[in-house]
Amino acid sequence: MNADPAAAVNRGPGAALRGTPTHQGPGDLTLTSIVLFTLGAYGVAAGAATGQEAVVAVGIFAFTLFATGIIWPIVSIARLRVRAVAPTDATVGDTVVLQVDVRGRAPRVDIRALDPPGTWWRTSAPASGALPHSAVRRGVFRSVRVQLRTSAPLGVFVRTRTIRVDLDAPITVAPRPVAAPAVLRPVPEERMAAGPALLPRGAGDTVRTVRPYAPGDPARLVHWPTSARRGEIVVREHEPPPALGVALVVDLRGPRPEAAASLAAGIGGATLAAGGVVWCGTNEAGERVGATVANARELGRRLARAGPGEPAVPPEDWPVETVTA
Amino acid sequence: MSRGEKSPLAAHGVAPSYRIVAVPAAVALGAVGAIAADHAGLPWIVGAFAGAIAAALGVLALPSIPTRRATVVLLGLGGLAALRHASFAGNDRSWLLVLWAAATMLTLVMVDRADAEMVPALEGGAPLPSRMAETARVGALVSLIVMVAAVALVPSVTSRLGRKVWPGRSPTDSDLTSSPSSLQSSPSLDLTSRPRLGNAVVFTVDASHADFWRGETFDVYQGSSWSSSFDQDTDEPLTNTGSRVVVDAAQYDGGTANGTDFRQTYHVEAGYSDVVFAAPNPREVETDKNLMLAPDGTLRVGDPNIPSKIAAEGFGKGAVYTVTSSRRSVTAETLREATGEVPTFINETYALMPVTSGRVVELARTITQGRTNTYDRVKALENWLGDNTRYSLNAPLSPRGVDVVDDFLFRTRVGWCEQIASSLVVMARSIGIPARLVTGFVPGSRDALTGRFVVRERDAHAWAEIYFPGIGWQGFDPTASVPLSGDAKSSGSWLSAARHNAVPLAILAVLLVIIVAALPEVVAAGRRRRARRASWSAQTLHRLERVGRKAGRARAPSETPREYAAALADQLGDARLVEVGATLDAALFSAHGAPDEARERADAVLTSL
Repeated sequence: MNADPAAAVNRGPGAALRGTPTHQGPGDLTLTSIVLFTLGAYGVAAGAATGQEAVVAVGIFAFTLFATGIIWPIVSIARLRVRAVAPTDATVGDTVVLQVDVRGRAPRVDIRALDPPGTWWRTSAPASGALPHSAVRRGVFRSVRVQLRTSAPLGVFVRTRTIRVDLDAPITVAPRPVAAPAVLRPVPEERMAAGPALLPRGAGDTVRTVRPYAPGDPARLVHWPTSARRGEIVVREHEPPPALGVALVVDLRGPRPEAAASLAAGIGGATLAAGGVVWCGTNEAGERVGATVANARELGRRLARAGPGEPAVPPEDWPVETVTA
Repeated sequence: MSRGEKSPLAAHGVAPSYRIVAVPAAVALGAVGAIAADHAGLPWIVGAFAGAIAAALGVLALPSIPTRRATVVLLGLGGLAALRHASFAGNDRSWLLVLWAAATMLTLVMVDRADAEMVPALEGGAPLPSRMAETARVGALVSLIVMVAAVALVPSVTSRLGRKVWPGRSPTDSDLTSSPSSLQSSPSLDLTSRPRLGNAVVFTVDASHADFWRGETFDVYQGSSWSSSFDQDTDEPLTNTGSRVVVDAAQYDGGTANGTDFRQTYHVEAGYSDVVFAAPNPREVETDKNLMLAPDGTLRVGDPNIPSKIAAEGFGKGAVYTVTSSRRSVTAETLREATGEVPTFINETYALMPVTSGRVVELARTITQGRTNTYDRVKALENWLGDNTRYSLNAPLSPRGVDVVDDFLFRTRVGWCEQIASSLVVMARSIGIPARLVTGFVPGSRDALTGRFVVRERDAHAWAEIYFPGIGWQGFDPTASVPLSGDAKSSGSWLSAARHNAVPLAILAVLLVIIVAALPEVVAAGRRRRARRASWSAQTLHRLERVGRKAGRARAPSETPREYAAALADQLGDARLVEVGATLDAALFSAHGAPDEARERADAVLTSL
């Protein structure tokens, strides 16, 4: 997969120019080609030297198969076009299934995803199918590289063609979280008013008041003494529990940005799972970005876009956990 | 074996998709084995069986070698055997060679298909076309391509690259005695015996167009035979300078001056021949033999120091010689206008009244009455013979002691070329036209694959030659219509022209195919190049890398531009490179790109380095 140049700062400068070394040449000659070329050269030379047309004919036959076996795969694969659709989210190490659409006509073609090179799969074109691909790098990817190959029909020459396929929607590959403890420390109340999504899950145990029963209230909240005193059923309303959470400051300017991103994902994920609030401060495409995240997916997306650079400053009074590369 | 049970072959590692490959492989090696066995004098079935078994075992029973590799190696061995025995034409086994080629091609298709089937199928992808359908479709297409290539290229390759001179096998006494009389020089031609006209190929000719392959001439008619007034002892030995013998054509045919060259290469297939066949009129012969030239222009192999004919002095099987002939282009009009004076030597040798009956002379005069020029008179005689006599190889032989021409014209009117041509010559000479009888071969059939004229025993022929002042000898024959050289030139079709220029045409076709096939790639590469040119970051990175390479510090594949620039800054002691790296980073990855001023500063830094 190839990172979006505008967004994939997380992979470090120059990451888009790197890549696992793969076969990029136009193709490979096979043992068959060597045999046919040798027969052709020997036949034409020996036949011409002695004037024996039959020997020349054998040589021409071998040469013709040699030439046809090279030109045919080149021509047949040159006309193929590929489209691909990828899921929007993935985590490093996941196997992503790309829905590929091979257009053009070729009776036999093998296809695989690159970066890293995957397994070859055979099909006949035109075709649509599911192409498994390993997500090995964190980032936001707008294109994938796909390789097509064929040696049809004679197996003389294996023509390989690499195609960069633009995705309809980019795929965001989040870092794989490492096991880390949740960080649950009190956070300022005013941050809690930012929106209901930030309210911690579950109720506290301090009773703030009572109110008349409304259908749907759980029976365990009925305050029987007061109900008996008032002559109507009332239920307890509790004080919300104190807000707990952490401000994650992710600084990827060191030598091990991926490990840092994974650690941040682990801490943030554990904190969110424990009902805590997570504020995440990163540097995305040269800009400092800081905001609370609603869930693990959003945290993953933020970390996928994170790159080396000065991270955003956390809000005042928040407990800060700095993760450095 | 129950379903699902592993077969013994599968246990040996041969995938089921490969098993079918054994069939065409066995056919290919069986075919070539049959040719080899035939060549070795063994029953062909033995070779076919051995080849087929070897192929089947090679494909199916070599567990330690990948099936594809084993198959290709077997096909390669089959190809070598085909090359070794391809030239063997005994018992007409050429169909086996075609069978070998077809089976080899199908084996390649099927083994590649079997390879493809070993790759897992794309989930949801389209299935491959059926094995048989694909093999049939590809087989037909590739066969067509191979046939076109063979027809187009083989004759040209052979004629352009093939040897023009080759000694061939040294003939034995047995070859001499078994060789047909049409290939042997002789002082006389008997008209009362039937010639041997078998199907055996006597020689093949590489030539751009058809012509009569002339052998000997006869000028003395003796009623039942022809002979030459020139004794073979008086033949002039020609000097062979480095496989090249120059023949002064003008000394026996003054009309050949300013003629057009016509090159022919003869490949002798018979066991023996001492006549040097050539289209009229030979002016140069490329051969390793010693040649003798008769005053009538007849060329034969011989040595003046060896008076009697011996086998070793002739061409043996496989001998190759090349003749360059020179012949003036003429048409009927040119011949009509040829009214000059006939040289005395020609008149005294070829225009004497032949020994024949008075009624033959009277018939000739009657037929040519009212004709004012030689050409029209000869054509009148030719037409009369064509209209009033019948060609048949089964014609009755004239009795001995009888004037064969008289007997043919006034009694049987059925004969073969010798009677008909003799009649034309005798009648022409009886009205004062210089004429002689020529023996040789008609062009033969042109081989569709090789483009060569294949000449057989049955193509032996006799025709008349008439002398035209200022032009020379011209062939006439009512049975085989000898083409005038001017007509021969115009008879070439676009197809024959294409065949003659097959090599340049084939190269052009291949280039066109390559250009068409590569065009999309070239266009795409151009676009990529333009895109790279337009990208400041790619250009700058390239310049940075060039600076590094000059300094002996190439960029490692894992290095980012920023890291590389920092490393170069350290190495070169130029801190400005750090900013170049940062600018490159911004240009490559920042949503806002690098500021123009930063780019200019980076350009300036790289330019200064």
